[in-house]
Amino acid sequence: MAVLMAVAVFPILYSLWLSFFRMKLTRPNRTPFVWFENYTDLLGNELFWVSVARTVTFTVTSVAAIAVIALLVSLLLNQDFRGRRVLSTILLIPWAIPYVANALMWKWIYDSGYGALNGVLYQLDFIDKYMVWLGDQDKTIFLIANAFVWKEVPLATILLLVTLKSIPADLYQAARVDGAGIWQRFTHVTLPSMKPGFMLVMIYETMMAIRHFDLFFILTEGGPGDASHVLSWHIYVETFRNLSFGSGAAMSYILAIVTFVLAYFIIRFLGRRV
Amino acid sequence: MKTSRMPSMGRRQFMQTSAAAGALGLAAPGRLALAQSASPVNLHTWSAAVDTVKSHLTAFEEHTGIPVNYGNSPWAQYREGMVTKFVGGAPLDMMWVSDAWLPEWAEAGWIAPVDDFDFLMKYNAEAEDFCTNSMTYDGRQYGLTYYTDFMAFLYDEEKLKEAGFDAPPETWDEVVEQSLVMKEKGIAEYPMMLAMAQESWLIEFMSALVYSHGGRFVDDNGDAIMQHEGNGAVEALRWVVDGVRKHGIISPACVETGELSGLKAFASGNHAFALVAKYRLRMLNDPEQSQVAGNVKQAMMPMGSNGAHDTVGWMRFHGMSAQAAADQQRAENTAKLIEWFGGKADGEYKFQKLLFLDIGAGFGVKPLFEDPEIRAAYDAYGDVDMIQKQQAQARKKDVITPWFGEWSETNGSAWQSAILGNVDPKAALEKSAELWAELKSEY
Repeated sequence: MAVLMAVAVFPILYSLWLSFFRMKLTRPNRTPFVWFENYTDLLGNELFWVSVARTVTFTVTSVAAIAVIALLVSLLLNQDFRGRRVLSTILLIPWAIPYVANALMWKWIYDSGYGALNGVLYQLDFIDKYMVWLGDQDKTIFLIANAFVWKEVPLATILLLVTLKSIPADLYQAARVDGAGIWQRFTHVTLPSMKPGFMLVMIYETMMAIRHFDLFFILTEGGPGDASHVLSWHIYVETFRNLSFGSGAAMSYILAIVTFVLAYFIIRFLGRRV
Repeated sequence: MKTSRMPSMGRRQFMQTSAAAGALGLAAPGRLALAQSASPVNLHTWSAAVDTVKSHLTAFEEHTGIPVNYGNSPWAQYREGMVTKFVGGAPLDMMWVSDAWLPEWAEAGWIAPVDDFDFLMKYNAEAEDFCTNSMTYDGRQYGLTYYTDFMAFLYDEEKLKEAGFDAPPETWDEVVEQSLVMKEKGIAEYPMMLAMAQESWLIEFMSALVYSHGGRFVDDNGDAIMQHEGNGAVEALRWVVDGVRKHGIISPACVETGELSGLKAFASGNHAFALVAKYRLRMLNDPEQSQVAGNVKQAMMPMGSNGAHDTVGWMRFHGMSAQAAADQQRAENTAKLIEWFGGKADGEYKFQKLLFLDIGAGFGVKPLFEDPEIRAAYDAYGDVDMIQKQQAQARKKDVITPWFGEWSETNGSAWQSAILGNVDPKAALEKSAELWAELKSEY
C-alpha cells in the first residue's frame, strides 16, 4: 500500500498540484499559484488546437486501419491451412520490436535520400525519382500512422482471434440450417459475436494512439512545420524543452481526461450491443 | 589455540596519538597536505572527448593536488539533466555550458560569473571577440572556452569544375546561378545542401543565412527586427524558399534533413554546396568517411545583396556553478580547473589544442592558429588561412536570451512552414517576431 502511494498516488496528486502553478524550472524564484490559468490559457493557444486536430487525425486513421487489418488477418488465421502457424509467428515480429527500434527502422525506410521505400518504388518503376516522404506535410501524419499500425496490428489480431475462437460452432450450424450464406453468416454471426474483442481493441488502440510519442519524437520532432505536432509532442516540448512543468502538467491532465471520456463512450457504445 | 591481541589503548593515549598524527599531517609537504585536505571539485560535462578530459584531469590533479569528481552524460539529455541537478542542489562546481543556455542559467542563478578572477580574464586578450561575447551575459563573463566553431560554406571543387566554374560563388545569387547550371548539366539534382530539420543546429543554419544577408534577428535593445524587409532575415528565408520552390536547387526534403543526414548526403557526393559546421571539413576530406574526400573546399560565406561574408559562431565553455562561487575555497579551486582547461596549462593552451588534434574541434584563441602542429593538421584537410579569415567574421547568435528555447521551437516551425509554402516568408517571420515580443515582455 505504501509503495502504491509512493509510486502512483503521490505523483498523480503532486502533478495535479503543480498544474495550478506557473512553474518553470528555469525561473525557480517565480512560481505563482494561478488556479486554473494553465488550463484556460490552453483554450486560447492556437498550437494546442492544432495539436488536438493532428491527434484526432492520427488516432482515427490508425485505429480504423488497425481494426480493419486486424479483422482481416484474424479471419485468415482462423482458417485451417498449411503454414498457418508460421504465418502466426511472423505476424508477431512487429509486436516484439521495441517502439524506439520500430521508429528508427521506419526513419530509415522513409528517408528521402537513401530510404528503402524510395529504393523499392524506384526499382519497380513506380517512381522516376526519389520522393520526399516525411518532409511532405500532406503525407507526414499518415506515414507515421502507417508505422504505428504496423506495430499494433499483431496485438489487435490476437485479441480478435481469441474472440473468433470463442464463437460457438452451433451458431454457424444453426445459421446454415436457416439457409444463411457466407456473407450473412459473417454479418449476422461473426461480427456481432466479435464485439467484445472489438471493444477491447478500440479502447486499447485509441489510448495508445492518443498518447503515442516515440514515432513523433524520432521520425519528425513534430515537423515539418507543425504537420505532426500532436498533443503528446506538445506536452513533451512544453514540459521537457521549455521546462514549464505547470502548464505541462495541465496539458497532461487534459489528455488523461480526454482518454477517459473516449474510453467511456466506446464502452457505452459497443458495450450496449454486446 | 594461541591468539594475539592488539595492545589496548587508553582514551588519553588515543587523543595524544591522534594529535600527533594531525600535527604530522600539517607539517607534511604542501602538495600532500593539499591533496588530503582539499575537497574535490565536481565537474560534469557532456560525453565528448571523455578520454582526453580524463587524461587532462589526471594531469591537473597531479599538478595541483586538487581532486576532481568527474561525471558526464549524453549531449541529448544534458541540458535537462543539468537543470534537474541545479534545482535538486546536486554538488556541482564546474560544468560545460552551451552559449544557448547561458542567459537561462545565469538568470536562474545556477551559474556564476568568473570575471572576478583576473588570472582567467587575461585570456580574453588572445580570444576571438565572438567567443568572449558569447560567454558574456548582462555585462558579466561566465567562463573560458571549451571549444568553438562557426558555420562554413563548403563546396565540391570537382563538381564546380565540371560545371565550368573556376571559382566558388561569392554571393547567394551566384550560388543559385551555379546551381542551376549544375542542375541543367545533371551534375547534381539539388546542388545546395541545407539541413532545416527541427533540431538544435537549426538556429545556427538560420543565423548564418541571416548574417550573410546583412541581417539580424533582433536589434541592440533585444527587440525583434526579423520581420522587417531589408533587415536580412526575410531576405534569407526568401532565398531558401525560392531555392526549394522556385529554382529547385535545394531539396524539399531539407525540412526533414538533420545536420548529420545532410552531412552524409554531402559526403556521398549528392550535392555541390553545403552549409555545415567548419569542423566537419576534416571528416568530409577523410577518404575513409567520405566519397568526395580531397574535393571539399571552404569558401567565404556567400553574401546577400546587403550582406557581407559574415557567419555565425558558437561557443561551448567551462563555467562555474553558483554554489561553488559561494564558497571562496571551492571557487578558487574551480577557477584553477577552469584555467587548466580553458586557459593555459603548463604554459600553453593544452586542452584546446588536444581537443583540436583529437577530434578536430575548433579553438577560440588566436595564437593557436600559429602553432606548427595545428597548421600541419589543418593543411591535411583545409585551408588554415581561409578558416582563420572566416572565423574572424563570425558573430555570436543574437537571439540567445532566457526565452530562446521557447521561441526557437516556434521560429523553427515558422521557417519550415514558409519552406513548405504554407505561408509567405514575411508572414512566417511576423509570427516568430510576435512570439519574441510576447516572451520578452513575459520575462
